[in-house]
Amino acid sequence: MSVKEIMDIIREKLGGIAEDIRYVESAGIIVRVKPVNLREASHIVHDVLDAYFRTMMAVDERPINNTFAAYYVYGLDDKGINIIIEAHADPYTPVLPSIADIVPAADWYELEAWDLLGIKFKNRKLHRFVLPDDWPEGLYPLRRDVDYTVRPSPRITYKPPLQGPRLPVGPYHPALHEPEYFELFVEGERVVDVEYNGFHVHRGIEKLAESPRFTYQKIPFLAERICGICGFVHSVAYTLSVENAAKIEVPERAQYIRSIVLEVERLHSHLLWLGVACHLLGYDAGFMHSWRIREKVMVLAELLTGSRKTYGINLVGGVRKDINMDKITAIRNTLAWLRSEFAKLADLVTSVPQIVRRARGTGILPRDEARKLSVVGPVARASGLDRDVRRDYPYCAYKDVSFRVPVYTEGDNLARVMVRVEEIFESMDIIDQLLDKLPGGPIMAEKMEVPAGLVGIGNVEAPRGEDIHIIITGRGRPYRWRVRAPTYQNIPALKVMLRDAPLADAPLTIASIDPCFSCTDRIVVIDLKTGKREKLQTVSIPGECGCEI
Amino acid sequence: MRVNPLKKSIWVFHLNTGSCNACDIEILDALTPYFDVERFGIKLVASPRHADLVLLTGPITRKTLPKVINALRAVPRPRYILAIGACAVGGGIWYDTYSVIGGVEELKKMLEENGIEIDKIVYVPGCPARPEAIIYGVAVLLGLVEQKVHGEVKIAE
Repeated sequence: MSVKEIMDIIREKLGGIAEDIRYVESAGIIVRVKPVNLREASHIVHDVLDAYFRTMMAVDERPINNTFAAYYVYGLDDKGINIIIEAHADPYTPVLPSIADIVPAADWYELEAWDLLGIKFKNRKLHRFVLPDDWPEGLYPLRRDVDYTVRPSPRITYKPPLQGPRLPVGPYHPALHEPEYFELFVEGERVVDVEYNGFHVHRGIEKLAESPRFTYQKIPFLAERICGICGFVHSVAYTLSVENAAKIEVPERAQYIRSIVLEVERLHSHLLWLGVACHLLGYDAGFMHSWRIREKVMVLAELLTGSRKTYGINLVGGVRKDINMDKITAIRNTLAWLRSEFAKLADLVTSVPQIVRRARGTGILPRDEARKLSVVGPVARASGLDRDVRRDYPYCAYKDVSFRVPVYTEGDNLARVMVRVEEIFESMDIIDQLLDKLPGGPIMAEKMEVPAGLVGIGNVEAPRGEDIHIIITGRGRPYRWRVRAPTYQNIPALKVMLRDAPLADAPLTIASIDPCFSCTDRIVVIDLKTGKREKLQTVSIPGECGCEI
Repeated sequence: MRVNPLKKSIWVFHLNTGSCNACDIEILDALTPYFDVERFGIKLVASPRHADLVLLTGPITRKTLPKVINALRAVPRPRYILAIGACAVGGGIWYDTYSVIGGVEELKKMLEENGIEIDKIVYVPGCPARPEAIIYGVAVLLGLVEQKVHGEVKIAE
């Protein structure tokens, strides 16, 4: 279906309430509505057109058009086109209607917009989400008139120990390698609810990118430091968004090199996760084997990029390091070794009872809940949602390779293990195909100009799921850069997975989404007041999120 | 210069104060078969109360600050810190943003205000610090190898 036909459908469905409908090649179809019509438009796009909620960007546009703006991005996966609903709020008392009841996945985004930009959402509870509790009221760091170095002096307060049937997990806990805080509400050995308080790793990245310290070409290095595990994903997503917005032609060879490094990163990330999952189940042999194999991937990454992590080879317009025949031989040798070693490990991990019996049937996320919460990546694919950004919204060199997207319908922890195990094999095949087809030519675009005031979207399938960046270009640096990491979208699903499950399964279930808090750094809080089970069905999840920040 | 209380195997506690995970996975890497620091008796423990040495990563975000202070308070004396990675050493790329404290030096001042003394800090720079560098840092603390850079700060105008 062409863009024109989709435009016609959108005109028919939304024509009555839209102020303006336009198509921007670098982003998608942008529909501007009045705040009063936002709920209706969201309902039509999310429920009638069945578009997947991808991200929301709130912007302080007071210097441009004297409003606060919110852009809700939905994706039509089968057509690979985004529908963006744009709404503007008053500059003095910014208020928008909440759509969290229509689009449950939008919950965190609204909380974040409130916390960082001071946009109020009607008919919902708002509270501190990303910022610490002692942050002064009325100081919104993402507003343009607030300097990025503002540092209110911290007040250190101590919370009394928990009372009642609540178990704290974190922020420093053996099962977590990052500072995040979960509170599990238990009845005997069963978890009845969970409260998540995250965003401990909020470092102010989006604001920093708008500061005079950064330019378009420096931000890829900042983006890589969003996350130490999937950093290259973020730098590629950022460069894609700028390149899309400014229509920069990236040479084919650079696209291939990016794809190869992205797949190498996926290999190391999935092996890392598999090891940690084994460790949490008390199967330390699996952990050690997995990390032994992974070390070769780290050595390979160092050979290709010069660094074990935070590769630093990506720039807007191309890459900084080429691949020569020696490196191609090294990749092929490593892959051959990896294939045989990993096949043995995969056989072991998917057959030992320590893993299989603990993972089967636990942490179930049914398909309809997964769809409602718009989860991404292996979590979605393990719950029967056939979504992969590499295939649905092709970028870099993925249009030239063929690969299988593993989908399982069980939705349990074992399905999530299996999806990742199969993805490791697929990644190795993808790298082989890319090496076969590697074209010659330059690795850096010659002409680069980024005009101000353009919108661009870049998406990358990270090891943890869809990573999506939106950018509004400014002079010399982005006007606004919005990062949405995969874990941001997946953490709310934990409340479904953990509810009514035995306590002993909680660490594996939390790990099964492969949470990356430095990416997400924000939170989920689930209300549970009285201990009544019925109440648990109407959960509100205020959260923070994180990969970006 | 040998640190007497650490003659035997040292137990480490991993304290992530808002790092991007890169240093953290390198710490884990040092513990797994390729580098295998357990052969030197270095062991990761789950509680700061059992720790001889704290492996501190990250620029110390405002939100983790109270928890970091609590965790460090629980560490028995002598209290040693290995500041791992550019962020822990000096705040890294976000040294001046609104949401971080900006490195272990700033933390040390706040700890002193709270009556918590730090006996020694060893800095392991790098973004991320390599596993070899982390092991070297421990060796410096134990006095097994010479410190490479000494504490003379020169700031270019």
